[in-house]
Amino acid sequence: MSAQIKQIFILVFIFVMIPASFAFAHKVIIFAWVENGIIYTQSSFGSKRKAKNCVITVMDEKGVIVHKGQTDLEGNYSFKIPEKIDSDLILKLDAGTGHQAQWRIAKNELVTDPSTKDIQAAREEKEKLEESPSILKIIGGIGIIFMLALAVKFLKRKIS
Amino acid sequence: MHISEGVLSGPVLASGAVLAMAGTAIGLKKIDYDQIVHVAILASAFFVASLIHVNVGPASVHLILNGIVGLLLGFAAIPAILTALLLQSVFFQYGGLTALGINVVVMAAPAVLVHYLFLPLLGKSPTLTFVAGFLSGILSILCSSLLLGLALWFTNKNFFETSLVIITAHIPVMIIEGIITGFCVSFLLKVYPEIIPLKSYGEKK
Repeated sequence: MSAQIKQIFILVFIFVMIPASFAFAHKVIIFAWVENGIIYTQSSFGSKRKAKNCVITVMDEKGVIVHKGQTDLEGNYSFKIPEKIDSDLILKLDAGTGHQAQWRIAKNELVTDPSTKDIQAAREEKEKLEESPSILKIIGGIGIIFMLALAVKFLKRKIS
Repeated sequence: MHISEGVLSGPVLASGAVLAMAGTAIGLKKIDYDQIVHVAILASAFFVASLIHVNVGPASVHLILNGIVGLLLGFAAIPAILTALLLQSVFFQYGGLTALGINVVVMAAPAVLVHYLFLPLLGKSPTLTFVAGFLSGILSILCSSLLLGLALWFTNKNFFETSLVIITAHIPVMIIEGIITGFCVSFLLKVYPEIIPLKSYGEKK
């Protein structure tokens, strides 16, 4: 039995811990803010990996497209606030093959420039989104998988 | 490979969810009591594999490992992949929660396929074992790419172009996963053959 447990530990190490040491995030993020009448956007796959040459579609609340553009090699794209806009703006990033993300700019942000404090808060929110998954989350996820396995084991034993 | 929130239409998402539920039910029923720990180990492997990335063009592709999970688990791969994808979605924001069902179909269906195609080859000879693993790795990603293309087809209406982009982007992953799966099954057959559900192997023992 102890030999089997040892083997299981070796397996968990091979399958889980080695990949974990290469951990990088993979999500799609678009972040936008307004400064002096210009909307600036930054898009990435998290962890400083920029979403290059991806289409950005800007829509009003009703889904009417008011602007379209493409990110540069740094994942950035900026444009003037479209004229005659009287609704929140929804910025949709299409990073291809089913990858998509969006960011909403409230109507009132389009008319008044946000204070530096607001920009700072939004930036912190974005940095939090871009963070790599912590090792704690990885271990927590694996813990949940094994707890579910135990639950299935328990149920199977009860049924039989 | 993970489809984000808001990409697909309602009917496609619903069909995916129904198929995933049916598959999970079959999978749970088919898991042997002694196999449950293996399901958990492989689900964990799948859960972390997506954190390893290769940047290709505008998209970013990552290891998937559905080949080895399916090869070793068969139908039991479906609940394993469902659990792992759910946790990836909640913890790492990979793929949308509403797209969970369709993501399960895209990654688990090829996994089950390679089990039935290549499992009989395992243990026949060291070369055949490696080749079976290698082909499992390649074919599972290829089929997943095609299924992803098919799922996106309903919104894009451009199946061949979309699929070609996805498959091209996943060629490096296919090769890497083929090699990883080949080496893993060869290694496992030597050090921990119990994880390979081979009837013939059990008889030999």
